[in-house]
Amino acid sequence: MLAAIVVTVAAAGAQNSARDQLARGREAWDQRLTKTAIADVQEATRDPATAAEAHELLGLIYAFKGWQQENVFPGFHDEPAYREKAIAELKAAVEADPKRFTSRQALLVAEAFAAADKIDQLPPRPLITELDARIERGRSLDIPIGELVEALQARMKAQADPTPYFAGAQVLIDRGEYNNAITLAEHGVPVAERFIQENLSAFQMEGKSDAALMRSRAQAADIIGWALFMKKDYPGADAKLGEAERLYRGADFNNQFHLAELARAQNKPDRAREHYLDALSLTAGPPAARERATEELAKLYAAGKKKRKPFKGWLDAQLTARQNERKKADLKSRLDTQLPTLELTTLDGKPYSTSSLQGKVLLLNFFASW
Amino acid sequence: MPHLKTVYAKFQNDPNVAFLLVSIDDDQKRLERYLDEMKFPFPVVHASSAEMQRAMGFNDLPSTFYVDRRGIVRYQILGFEPHGDSDARVAWYIDQLTHH
Repeated sequence: MLAAIVVTVAAAGAQNSARDQLARGREAWDQRLTKTAIADVQEATRDPATAAEAHELLGLIYAFKGWQQENVFPGFHDEPAYREKAIAELKAAVEADPKRFTSRQALLVAEAFAAADKIDQLPPRPLITELDARIERGRSLDIPIGELVEALQARMKAQADPTPYFAGAQVLIDRGEYNNAITLAEHGVPVAERFIQENLSAFQMEGKSDAALMRSRAQAADIIGWALFMKKDYPGADAKLGEAERLYRGADFNNQFHLAELARAQNKPDRAREHYLDALSLTAGPPAARERATEELAKLYAAGKKKRKPFKGWLDAQLTARQNERKKADLKSRLDTQLPTLELTTLDGKPYSTSSLQGKVLLLNFFASW
Repeated sequence: MPHLKTVYAKFQNDPNVAFLLVSIDDDQKRLERYLDEMKFPFPVVHASSAEMQRAMGFNDLPSTFYVDRRGIVRYQILGFEPHGDSDARVAWYIDQLTHH
């Protein structure tokens, strides 16, 4: 009892020590409160006792901001300005304590990221930009289909990325060429896979290439689902748009908008409302589609029973709630991270390790029998 | 969760796929009764609820994670699936990770 009191008092007395500052910074960083973390850890770099550790942590935070955060939270983007800072901090950590193994490792990783950045810095070639514009012009029915096909073929030949397949499929949907759109989008998936495999080093981390592969598959599924919807094949559209939703992890404006339109056509107002709200709570999306989603929501709201608030206030509250929920879920999300070591026991009480399952695809289900 | 048994039947001969159920029951007797009834053909282990929630970041049960061959969590379903559990969907997630 007495010991506990003494400890508490000691901690209170030394509240501003560099060690405490570092601990507070680390805690903030664990919660991904990067601004607070940076401020605290910067303070701790000034004290020689904590300098090496603080420079290292600062380097890791900057490396996260510079190269990794885009992958971690939807809507975040990497901040290249932090890349040089990350390397400088990690070098300072190694200088402060040359024996510090973790700092040297972190520096090697950051330098490898920086080396990968130097690949493929060329701006798109004028030819590609021009061909993309020609495909886009093909949206207008005034342009004969033959000309569009020619532009698509030229673009496919000029560069092996999947853009002409997916952008072309969208254009074909707008022209009412649903079956051709489906075929083109389907062909886009292996093209995307090949392009990513051939350029793997351009993706700085393994997670990035996997995310890019998933996005291509999601894009194809969404386009095909939308073409099926336009053909009034609702069950087919439901399956494909649902597949895209799982691949996008529910976080794509167009896909949520398409799901909403499908639900509306199927006379499922509750589902339509959910998807329209999910769509609008995501950033991006063409202004026309956002406008339409808002109009449809207003109609659904007017037809609903509860109308205590004016529509605008209700909508704002709904969107804010959804955005907050998503932020909270993202912070806790384990997606794209290594499965941690779990302390498990068999039912007769012996320790159980998941290491026996290494190298396998694992379905891990947590449940309770109540 | 009988649907997991149905899906497992599809993958039981695939050496690259594993199912693991983690019970976070406090009541051992009730769990035993449940397992007797379900007779799951794959391993079921036990863990502390608080520790698992901290490690895996879930609030709801059941929660399911699909982990790829390199040990990276690729899909997570926290709580029941919004449109209901289905054999097809569970198999879809596994197929994504085995084929790609």
